[in-house]
Amino acid sequence: MALSPIPGLIPVYEDYARCIHCGLCLNACPTYRLWNLEADSPRGRIHQMIHVEQGEVPVTDSFVDHIDKCLDCRACETACPSGVEYGKLVEYARARIERDYRRPLLSRVARDVVYRRLLPYPKRIATVARLLRFYQRSGLQSLARFTGILKLFGLDKRERLLPRVDSNFFYDRLGKTFPATGERRARVAFFAGCVANVTFAELNAATIRVLTANGCDVVVPNGQLCCGALAAHAGVRDVARELARNNLRAFLLNDVDAVVTNAAGCGSTLKEYDHLFTPGEPEYGQASAFAKKTRDVTEFLTALGLSALLKALPLRVTYQDSCHLLHGQKVREAPRKLLRAIPGLDLVELPYSDLCCGSAGVYNVTQTDASLELLAEKMHCASATGAQVIATSNPGCLLQMRAGAEIYQSNQQVLHVIELLDQAILN
Amino acid sequence: MHVDCKGDASLTIVGKEVTYLPAENTARKPLHRDVIRGLQNILGASMVLHRPEDLLLYEYDGSVEKGRPGAVVFPTTTQEVSQVVRLAAQHDVPVIGRGAGTGLSGGALARTGGVMIVFARMNRILELDLENQRAVVQPGMVNYELTRAAEAGGLYFAPDPSSWKSCTIGGNVSENAGGPHTLAYGVTTNHVTALELVLPDGEICRVGSRHGDSVGYDLAGLFVGSEGTLALVTEITVKLLRKPENVKTLLAIFDDVDGASETVAEITARAITPAACEMLDGWTLRAVEDFIHAGFPLDSAAVLLIELEGLAEVVAAQVAAVEEVCLEHHAREVRVARDEQERELLWRGRKNAFGALGRIAPSNYVLDGVIPRSKIPQALRRIREIGERYNFKIGNIFHAGDGNLHPIVLFDPRDAGQYQRAIEASAEIIRYCVEIGGALTGEHGVGMEKSELMPLLFSDDDFGLMRRIHDAFNPRSALNPGKIFPLNKGCGEITPRAQAAVRAVPL
Amino acid sequence: MSTVATNVAARLETVIDAERVNGGSDSCTKFAVDGVAPSVVARPASSAEVVEIVRFAKSEKLALIPCGICTKLGIGIPPTRYDIAIDMTGLNQIAYYDPADLTLSVDAGMNLAQLAEALAQQKQFLPLAVPFFDECTVGGTIASNIGSALQPGYGSARDFLLGAEFVNGAGTFTKSGGRVVKNVTGYDLHKLLIGSLGTLGAITRLNFRTFPLPEGYGHLVGAFSSVDSVERFQAMVSKSPLAPSTFNILGPEAAQTVAEFKDDRDSPLPSWFTRGEWHVCVGFEGTETILRRYSSELAQYAQQCGASNYHLLQESDDKALGGALRELLNLLSWSGPAATIFKINAFPGFTPDVINLHALAQQFSISCRIFASSSGPLYFALQPGDLNDKTIGSLAHIASGVFEYAAEHDGSASILFCPTSLKRVVNVWGPARNDSALMRRVKNAFDPENCFAPGRFVAGI
Repeated sequence: MALSPIPGLIPVYEDYARCIHCGLCLNACPTYRLWNLEADSPRGRIHQMIHVEQGEVPVTDSFVDHIDKCLDCRACETACPSGVEYGKLVEYARARIERDYRRPLLSRVARDVVYRRLLPYPKRIATVARLLRFYQRSGLQSLARFTGILKLFGLDKRERLLPRVDSNFFYDRLGKTFPATGERRARVAFFAGCVANVTFAELNAATIRVLTANGCDVVVPNGQLCCGALAAHAGVRDVARELARNNLRAFLLNDVDAVVTNAAGCGSTLKEYDHLFTPGEPEYGQASAFAKKTRDVTEFLTALGLSALLKALPLRVTYQDSCHLLHGQKVREAPRKLLRAIPGLDLVELPYSDLCCGSAGVYNVTQTDASLELLAEKMHCASATGAQVIATSNPGCLLQMRAGAEIYQSNQQVLHVIELLDQAILN
Repeated sequence: MHVDCKGDASLTIVGKEVTYLPAENTARKPLHRDVIRGLQNILGASMVLHRPEDLLLYEYDGSVEKGRPGAVVFPTTTQEVSQVVRLAAQHDVPVIGRGAGTGLSGGALARTGGVMIVFARMNRILELDLENQRAVVQPGMVNYELTRAAEAGGLYFAPDPSSWKSCTIGGNVSENAGGPHTLAYGVTTNHVTALELVLPDGEICRVGSRHGDSVGYDLAGLFVGSEGTLALVTEITVKLLRKPENVKTLLAIFDDVDGASETVAEITARAITPAACEMLDGWTLRAVEDFIHAGFPLDSAAVLLIELEGLAEVVAAQVAAVEEVCLEHHAREVRVARDEQERELLWRGRKNAFGALGRIAPSNYVLDGVIPRSKIPQALRRIREIGERYNFKIGNIFHAGDGNLHPIVLFDPRDAGQYQRAIEASAEIIRYCVEIGGALTGEHGVGMEKSELMPLLFSDDDFGLMRRIHDAFNPRSALNPGKIFPLNKGCGEITPRAQAAVRAVPL
Repeated sequence: MSTVATNVAARLETVIDAERVNGGSDSCTKFAVDGVAPSVVARPASSAEVVEIVRFAKSEKLALIPCGICTKLGIGIPPTRYDIAIDMTGLNQIAYYDPADLTLSVDAGMNLAQLAEALAQQKQFLPLAVPFFDECTVGGTIASNIGSALQPGYGSARDFLLGAEFVNGAGTFTKSGGRVVKNVTGYDLHKLLIGSLGTLGAITRLNFRTFPLPEGYGHLVGAFSSVDSVERFQAMVSKSPLAPSTFNILGPEAAQTVAEFKDDRDSPLPSWFTRGEWHVCVGFEGTETILRRYSSELAQYAQQCGASNYHLLQESDDKALGGALRELLNLLSWSGPAATIFKINAFPGFTPDVINLHALAQQFSISCRIFASSSGPLYFALQPGDLNDKTIGSLAHIASGVFEYAAEHDGSASILFCPTSLKRVVNVWGPARNDSALMRRVKNAFDPENCFAPGRFVAGI
């Protein structure tokens, strides 16, 4: 049977051979730390991919299981002394699974609905959000939690991971430009995300306020859609490519100094838009240019330097690295520098802040148990710091740790670095 | 059922033709289902791996060797380990212990199949006695995690092999692991005071004492570094050291390698004992710099990374003395790391050096010879000369202060001729190390990799006694067979390993 | 000379040079162990000759004990058989010394003091500050694992012994380890030789890491009125960044012995000594700046811990004190007809309840001395007035008390020196150990015919 070729980047011999199976990645991998299985370690996963690529072993249930269990947090890339680009390898493996492997019906339907029928369509996201908002605000949620009916269906924990839907969606800001306050120092295009429009509208608004307050004209291009990260991570490359094509059209790169996002997960994919295409394809060049222009908002602001006056926030804050910022984009210092820039703020390091909180895109839904185990560990460390606020730099991580703060009643606020900056800016 | 490895079938992967060979032992028949069932009865089904696709992942470690087990089990208590060992003995199946599988000599590989006991889930600290500077840990405890736990008391576990963030203390004990800081603080054996062991017949016993000194023979000293060939270690009591008051890290930059190696010899001769003294040659540091950006100057021929620790007064005096020696030997520049961040960056460059070379060539052969430190300059010259003769660039990243060389021969295993020459060059280097009064391995262990080289150092009589000790504890070679002792007695060649490295090529 | 002896000597002369065989009774008496004398003394001049002697003994089923200057033959149990003493002092050369590499290979029979002299010429030394220093051999020091005062700063022999050559009981010349400072090639068999008391083989050569001689030395002696304050002081130093090279804790009586050492008995005691108090002697090394730092900081700690008195010793006093501390075991082992010294490896090494040992001795009206090294063992030395059945009975009682004390402290104890008659009623190695069977396996591997020092060691080895 001739299979259709997998589009986009295909790893070559050297990409795999670079792994000298030294094992330095093992203890950096959240799933290896959980289960201590070679099969759920980066080295073991690469080894499995090699066997599959060699054709020695077909794509089996076991292979799919272990590749699915990977958070794609890329902590192994930071640990790897050989510079293995694991993210590239695992995303290709997932694309291969998507092509070669037939998942069980329920999983097929769910994946189809989420990746193909929901995320690419803002209107559908908005509809789902309104339903969810009704559940959360009408008293249904309290009723469900109070009666314990969720527990009956084993959904109680999962339900807590649901995002809180904003009262006002962000969609009405699309197509607008927000001028810099004071002297104009830069002009940026803001990448608004997909689900963030309905669940993090306030964060997006705060991001625009912080950028403008620091002398940036902020353009929010109309017609932008989901970045495609979730689809790409899931191996649904055709959807990711389609979304990327759309965004390449929507963003006029020559008009701005940078494309800025407040979501590390999106940023990491946007910075690798070229991976979705092969060098021969017409979009490749444009995708590379887009990738080069993308900046995480913390990274951008740190490089630009803060110009807005800040008031004191007398808070003890700890910072959880977002995997796709730290490991995916190798940005470690920028968010810390911004936090330290706030007068009165006491930044305490979070032990194991470089380990995933368990959010990892849709991981907390697809692998809830593992996700919650990682969350438990994370909240345990966070509590020990005595911090009043856990700061991070990605909406997914915010959701996860907000759920954690609720489950473990840690009395800690979970905020995006930008939200803290926003609070500190003098009007 | 067993995976049908395709012999020497050629496979075309992404446009490149490469050869895949099966692990050495794949011809062996799989474990009898009674053994698997027995293991499942002892541990529960979820703690026993026996499907081929799972076993594939335990055929490698950090070395170029391979060996696939027939089953992999994850006990969580010493009792379970003992039961597994007993069961294996009943069925006459070998048992191999494994920690994280980061070893560099094939020590934790199932050379002749059998049951592999992975200690990764026995990873708890059983006792942390900060007052008396001792910790009792299970063998699967990760080296780095112990230090993290001890940090609260201002203490740390001294052995720090490059793999410290992943490797287990059980593995460190088996291989008697070293690391850059062993120069001042000694290797693993100097930090282990007591062990709990499971013998090949399943008997559980304890040796050593919390204190360290005890009545009778130093059995703990015998078991540490015995590479899992005498007993399985199930509990370890270690010493924890107090963090030094002051640490200074120097980077000395040289325009020629001789200057750097003479500096090391001179530092030793002047009896300055740094906590660590590491050397990277120019070619290696360029590869590292490309990746880590540690600030190694790209146009230099060699750098020395020297760390001095202790009382502020001691460190200050030593920094001055080291600087003087470096400049006397024509160092272009000596930099002192200004803060912890700079220090970490320099060390990151060193600790990631092996891996960084993985970016240059698809495969490499890391040697682990030790030589008298007074002979470093001549040894490096000889290595360079050997490299030129065989037409290889041989990188040098090593624990200079210990005389522990790590020449790295890079090659492309897809070219069989190149591989053969790499092995020949390596053998010549090792022979030279032995010739000038050195040893085969300073910290990686003998394992499968260097067993055939052992006759370069040891006589038949030496082997006779070592074999009697082996047989005193492990008479039927039920534990970790095929390690340390040469299989082809007296040949003294690395040649048989040629096959192994070709096999290690992933694609 | 008995007929048996003549025969053994005569036959031995057929395998090694006759000059090296001595069957004279004076000579044999010198090598006696707990009153058991060999029939012949052989003094080999090479390791090849040692091999011949061992092969001879093996074929004739004779028992051997390798000896040096015989300063520590009192350690252990009397041998069950003893035919040939191997006098190792014929092997007494430095075989290899690379000062630039700080490595040394030395024959086992070499005198420790002579070795120290040779190393000093290169401004180096071996950190074995052991009793009997002036007379004893390097081989005997290792085989007895006698405590070194420098253990706190330099570790014990196992930390700097790099390798060894020896002739094992099968009559083969074997080696272990190497001459390089870092080595994991093969089993660490040389570690087993440390403290093996000649039961595994005859050590012919030992490889060590050497160390630079420090520029200067200093000593703080603090006097404390209670063991609690001693313990506080010890804890404070161990938690400080300081790394003293020696750390000796002396009970009041032991302190007196040290204070009187080499001093004219009529002269007043040295100024640092306070009668009736516990003393802590902390030795340190380095440049002047470093010595100053140690002096001021240690003095501060001593004050904080309530020392009743403290002194910083000058160069010559320092040397005398160092020598006295090193030789304390030596002194006490000759201190009376029934002198008995226990070596206790407790954990932690020193706790205030050591006074229980004192009480134990007092119960039997036997005078005692307690001294300890911070990281090393605790010594408990008894000096009964005379040697008789009652004394032996008392000592036996005390012994069981000491063994209990050690067990309670997560450790073990043994009797280092005692009258032979006590050895008939008490096992000097303490109660049976649970690793005895493993030790016997080691013994059988090294010495399958049980030629070497039979019955001298733990577990009937």
